[in-house]
Amino acid sequence: MNSVAPALLILAPFLAALLCSAFSWLERRLCFPTALLGLCVSLLAALDLLLQAGPAGVIQYKMGGWSPPFGIEYRIDALSALVILIIACIALLNLAASHRQVLRDMQDRFGTFYAVYLLFVTGLFGVTATGDLFNLYVLLEITSLTGYALIAMGDGDRGPLSSLNYLFIGVIGASFYLLGVGYLYIMTGSLNMVDVARLLPPLYGSSAILVAFVFCMLGIWIKMALFPLHVWLPNAYTYAPAAVSRVIAPLMTKVMVYVMIRLMFTVFGLEYVFEQLDLSRTVVWLATLAVLAGAVMALAQRDLRKMFSYVIVSEIGYMVGGAWLGNELGFTGAVLHILNDALMTFALFLVLGNLLFRLRGVSFEDLRGSFVGMPWTMAGFVLAGLSIIGVPPTCGFFSKWYLILAGLEAGAYQFVAALVLSSLICAVLFFRIIEIAFFEAPGPSSGDTGQNGQLREAPVSMLIPLGLVSISLLAVGVYAGSVVRGVIAPFLGLYPIP
Amino acid sequence: MKFFGFLIVSLCGGLLLYASSEFPDWGDPDSPASRHLSPHYIEESLAETGVPNLVTSVLADYRSFDTMFETAVIFCAGLACLLLLRKYKPETDRYYRHIPTGVILHFKNSRKSLPVGSEFELMDADWVPYDLVIKTVCRILIPFIQLYALYVVAHGDFSPGGGFQGGVIFGSSLILLAISYNLRTAVQRIKERVLGFLCVLGVLIYAGLGVLCMFLGGEFLDYSRLAAILPADPVHVRALGMLGVEIGVGIAVMAVMAAIYVNIASAGRHDEGL
Repeated sequence: MNSVAPALLILAPFLAALLCSAFSWLERRLCFPTALLGLCVSLLAALDLLLQAGPAGVIQYKMGGWSPPFGIEYRIDALSALVILIIACIALLNLAASHRQVLRDMQDRFGTFYAVYLLFVTGLFGVTATGDLFNLYVLLEITSLTGYALIAMGDGDRGPLSSLNYLFIGVIGASFYLLGVGYLYIMTGSLNMVDVARLLPPLYGSSAILVAFVFCMLGIWIKMALFPLHVWLPNAYTYAPAAVSRVIAPLMTKVMVYVMIRLMFTVFGLEYVFEQLDLSRTVVWLATLAVLAGAVMALAQRDLRKMFSYVIVSEIGYMVGGAWLGNELGFTGAVLHILNDALMTFALFLVLGNLLFRLRGVSFEDLRGSFVGMPWTMAGFVLAGLSIIGVPPTCGFFSKWYLILAGLEAGAYQFVAALVLSSLICAVLFFRIIEIAFFEAPGPSSGDTGQNGQLREAPVSMLIPLGLVSISLLAVGVYAGSVVRGVIAPFLGLYPIP
Repeated sequence: MKFFGFLIVSLCGGLLLYASSEFPDWGDPDSPASRHLSPHYIEESLAETGVPNLVTSVLADYRSFDTMFETAVIFCAGLACLLLLRKYKPETDRYYRHIPTGVILHFKNSRKSLPVGSEFELMDADWVPYDLVIKTVCRILIPFIQLYALYVVAHGDFSPGGGFQGGVIFGSSLILLAISYNLRTAVQRIKERVLGFLCVLGVLIYAGLGVLCMFLGGEFLDYSRLAAILPADPVHVRALGMLGVEIGVGIAVMAVMAAIYVNIASAGRHDEGL
């Protein structure tokens, strides 16, 4: 019998969500431990999967005991195992870090909140682990639906409004993906990714397959907020509750990048994407635009949350560009950047959460002198900022290095220039805030102060996750080589780039 | 702006239509969709799953993992309603109607409440003056609707139907009760807490059956393993497993329908029902 880890991975948070929802009517104190337990089990399963997937290549799990083209299978290789591990770590750390904030802001409904949160994480796990195109859609719906609900919990009237915007655009994205899958099904008669990939090569010239590919990609790009399709992202991430944006911002977009890579590599095949279509140049230009536009718009913001949201838009450009350059270096850079960007964004949003726990708001005026009151939080901020800029030895440097090398190898000099320029803009962005927070005297309007009127550091339960993530920013940078050898090389062994 | 919207819509629509020219003909028996997987489902599903209804066997067995998450989507919708709409603070402004005399009392900014019963009734968003004819007709209809819903759930193996449809029908009978009487009557029959439990219970039956199969040594949702504890052979026990998950789906859909209606209709404040 196969390992049960793939089933355990998704069932633990799913059952925990159901139990949380039941406990919210019975004994609400049990909700948080249940959620914690569910995500801990998932984390163990994710570790187990990563250890197995490296040597074994692919781990399969047949849902319902039916073999693949007839039933639904879970297919986990080194890349999906890595993404799953990222999801598990971030979801668990955020759960622990946001407990106090959730208790404070949502006392009357935190049981339901945890249930929805766990369902969101379940959906992300499923999207990453599944080997079935339609199952991916179903789990994407779970993720999106819970995401809309979680974002709508935020900030007075603007939270629900930005969630509604996100909902309209997100539904279009999901239905584009579904249309693409429908076209694929009509042309091949199968929904299993590997089976579709086997049936596709004779159909490569077909325009229906081309449209299927275009619609799948468009749908995923809408969901990941690639530049001209990003309009929903800044408001949704800004006005969501801190506990929510910290998990949605690092994970949602990155998982969508993973789905894009999965569709390109496993379903449509690299020969089709890079040799038959010759879209690579266009998409790299799009990515270049995204990198620049995101960075420039971030420069125009006066609110930390908005600024970070636009930094994410810019980072999406890095990953899409890297994946579409069509060489091994680019792919390595893109996958490393999925890992790094998830960690960096998580660190930034943890800092935001800590600041929002004590401050009234996070526009630049509110940040004045915050180094004095919250030294540890701001130290985390500096480290995350350095990583986003790409200063060695933080992890951000290594993925950028791979991407730049890949751009040079592919002759996409505009992409290289955009990378360098956006790094410079990020330097301006972050040093501007460091200056405000370090040198300017605290304003009179700071929020939650201690007895002597001083700004207080965030509680320890929120500092420990930030510390762990900050350390991991350095550790992942130092061990970038092992990630490349242990995860990316086996994946490229399965799907060699022509 | 409208022009750009129109342009984008017609571009996407045109692209989709253009590509559909490559599709196999309508009803073509040689199309990939009807040659690749369908023959197996059509020819083997009765022998493999013991269920005469092909749709049910694909939905609840071959692809039952999808269906579990479809149920979870509905459950999510219910949870989202509860999370976003439910207001937990009781109203401070209350109106009571003295039923025998029809006199209306107004409590301003007060936490006091009158015992609601045959003498006084609370008038708020949930209160509607009800009509004898509608009430009587609905009272006769509702049990039949519910009986039909149970039939649709139970007969899903053999004929069109199943958990989703049956659940919706059952849920609509509860909504009919709420419309024809008033929301409070419906909420008093099925308390909010009970509805919440039923939502969870439905999905939990589905997932629990799957986990039970894992404990019996199979994969998740591999119903044939239930043969170890149920008096049937491994093929027919699949039909029983499907019936089990259909019942779970039915309960979940019914409860979520009613919960969403109650939350939306009362704008999230049905504090008397608790």
